[in-house]
Amino acid sequence: MKRTLLFLLLVCLMATTGFTAAFAEAPEIVDGRFATTRQITVEIYDRAREGGSPVDNNFYTDYIKEGMLRDHNVEVTFIPVPRWTEVDVLNNLLAAGDAPDVSVTYSYPTIVTYGTMGGVTDLAPYLEENKDMLTDLWALLGDENIYWNKQPESGTIWALEAKLFVNKRINTFVREDWLKKLDIQEPKTLAEFEAMLVAFRDNAELLLGENAGNMIPYSTSFDVGWRNDHLLTSFVPEQFSEKEKYTHDFDDRHLLFPNYKEGVRVLNNWYNQGLIWKDFPLYPAGDSTEDNLLKAGYVGAFIHNWDYPYRNGQDSIHANVQRAYGEDAGYIAVEPFANDEGIYRKYLSAPIDRKIFFPATNDEPVASLLYLNFLSELENRRFLQIGEEGVTHEVLESGAVRTIAVQGEKIMNSPNNIDYTIVINGLDLGDPEKNVMSIALGYDTVDQRYIERAYALSDKDARYTKNYSVGVITAEEGMNTVLPNKRDTFLTQSVAAAADDFDKVYDTGFEDYLSTGGQAIIDERIAAFEKYYE
Amino acid sequence: MREAKQLRLNRTSNYMKRYWTLYLMLLLPIAFIIIFRYIPMAYILNAFKVNNILRPPWELPWAGNNGFEWFIKAFRSRDFLFALRNTFMLNILDLVIGFPAPILLALLLNELSFKRFKRITQTVVYLPHFLSWIIISGLALRLFAPNDGFVNIILARMGRNTIPFLNDPAHWVGSYVTLGIWKEAGWNTIIYLAAITAISPELYEAAAVDGASRLRRIWHITLPGLRPTIIILLILSLGRILGSDFDRPFALGNKMVRSVYNVISIFVYEYGIKGMQFSLSSAVGLFQSAVGVVFLFSANALAKRYGERGVW
Repeated sequence: MKRTLLFLLLVCLMATTGFTAAFAEAPEIVDGRFATTRQITVEIYDRAREGGSPVDNNFYTDYIKEGMLRDHNVEVTFIPVPRWTEVDVLNNLLAAGDAPDVSVTYSYPTIVTYGTMGGVTDLAPYLEENKDMLTDLWALLGDENIYWNKQPESGTIWALEAKLFVNKRINTFVREDWLKKLDIQEPKTLAEFEAMLVAFRDNAELLLGENAGNMIPYSTSFDVGWRNDHLLTSFVPEQFSEKEKYTHDFDDRHLLFPNYKEGVRVLNNWYNQGLIWKDFPLYPAGDSTEDNLLKAGYVGAFIHNWDYPYRNGQDSIHANVQRAYGEDAGYIAVEPFANDEGIYRKYLSAPIDRKIFFPATNDEPVASLLYLNFLSELENRRFLQIGEEGVTHEVLESGAVRTIAVQGEKIMNSPNNIDYTIVINGLDLGDPEKNVMSIALGYDTVDQRYIERAYALSDKDARYTKNYSVGVITAEEGMNTVLPNKRDTFLTQSVAAAADDFDKVYDTGFEDYLSTGGQAIIDERIAAFEKYYE
Repeated sequence: MREAKQLRLNRTSNYMKRYWTLYLMLLLPIAFIIIFRYIPMAYILNAFKVNNILRPPWELPWAGNNGFEWFIKAFRSRDFLFALRNTFMLNILDLVIGFPAPILLALLLNELSFKRFKRITQTVVYLPHFLSWIIISGLALRLFAPNDGFVNIILARMGRNTIPFLNDPAHWVGSYVTLGIWKEAGWNTIIYLAAITAISPELYEAAAVDGASRLRRIWHITLPGLRPTIIILLILSLGRILGSDFDRPFALGNKMVRSVYNVISIFVYEYGIKGMQFSLSSAVGLFQSAVGVVFLFSANALAKRYGERGVW
């Protein structure tokens, strides 16, 4: 009898605790604030900047942490991931089940590979349920970026696309003071550009004095596709259909675009004439050797990110060159590479940037979405992008904002803290006119005309990628690092090959690229395009 | 009969009473091997299952082609076949050139008569062992880069042609093997020097009395004395013939020598870890181990056949 009673009591107890537990599970959010404190982890790129602050614990992370706790009762912990090997490190974290709750990457195929294994949270239901709490996120990204990756049949959304607010990509830079010294006009054609490189090479003594032996007329890296993009894509014919573009666009270096090889042949030719930095094939991603050569002022011309020489305040390439060679020295953006119809075409991506996703191990999808909403609030991202008035920026009479490079605790580890504002890439003060003026002012002591020129040329005559929502291309799985690696390898080898071997090296490499998986992706993309869009 | 049994039991219990602490200490390494070497082997199943790392392999369906899909895929992959060839090539070169190096070095060190000089030399040749391949690859770049490398700068100043130590496949293989010897030969002499000290000095004295020269003594006394050690180490290295370091080729490699530095470990890293094709890389890893076991057993059997002791 006693025993039965005890048993019944126990059952009752269990039932009540069970019920309370079930009720406690219901998200109790009042005005966007959780009743109980939630914890989330957030990925943060680490650029290991010299003199920078710890990326997971500094002035700006404190702002985010305090804000999230105040507004949403969510504790945020940052997980640093090295910027230049982010995909590798993220893959390791994902495989180990340790990926941050809010993960971010530039590689959508990584998310797809993991998603098909069931390792990525489908955001669609959470977005719909909490839409009214996510107004800032929606206002910033818009339906376009939020639904960008929505799969046509299942409706699944594995990742949100951050807003590429300033859609600039690449520029071609040359030493302006060298042009003057040698009395050469700014190059407007490939032939003029090449003649300029030859002139740099032949006048090394005049330009570099006792350092003449270090002369590098043109510098590049193993990432041949990125670092020579304007030259290479100028060989792509202007008439190039959307279908052909979509089906050959999965390589973001444009390797599969028609006639690309002829561009690489030019590089090979330059390499064999001694116009290109001879040792570039040996240095891996993230190595600073080339940056140091640029800062030392040995390099005549290069292609890189649209504002590359002007970044990083007093440690920028521009500032270093000016210190060493005087006020006139510096790199200026030029536009020498026109296509077959004489247009200086730039192939730019759609206004999408990093891909934000929640691994399946994320137990707090709502708190994580609120985190994204917090970052999207104009006040918050504005603070992260420009910091404190009087410290990291000043407001001019025109309303434009001039950023001030600082050292110490308030230093920004990335330009405009891009690594924290994962929902947006590019300065946005909420007013387009002020944005442009402020961007030009945003480079410490670099003269405004350099920035304005780079800003204008980078997306002049651009052709943007359009979104074709065809769902998962299964052939792309597992290929996200294998194929880019093959591309970099054979392009590097082709550039550095003896002139007679060029065709052999390029064709063998290209054929290997296709047979390893490239062709399968093209075929599947053609089939998918025809199914949904024809 | 019974007494004899009792006696044996007593002896065992006495033995255990005296030495139980040693057995207790043995538990730790045994537990280590079970937990970190044997239990993870269950995941070998991944090689035969569909590719998914989020669920344990025993819950997953079999891969296509009766579970052998990944093996077939590997052997159809040109990257894998190249990796296989490169692994064999680099390991055999390491064996042929790298294996005798510490023996020679040990013989030389043993013949040094100035004690202090010998000790300093020994320490100096050990030191590279403690550098990681990442550091060594950095040094190699500074020294051997075609344009900016120190050695090539000197060659260029002397009016000679520069040597593509790191950017031409054939030269790179040479640099790879040489740097391997530079790093490990000194360290590997330790075991040979220890074996040499076990050789009775009387043999040398007797030989000296008989008028044997230094080289004769090395040939007829030191080397035969080292033979069992050499054989065992040789068998063990043959077991690793298809094994591959990861950090050494990865750190020393670059895009120009892709065709030779792509070894199996790099294949596994690129396809498995980076490309997340875990089943494929498990299959490759299993194949690699199987070949290693075959080599190990055959080398051991061969050694025994020729009257040596073997590993077991």
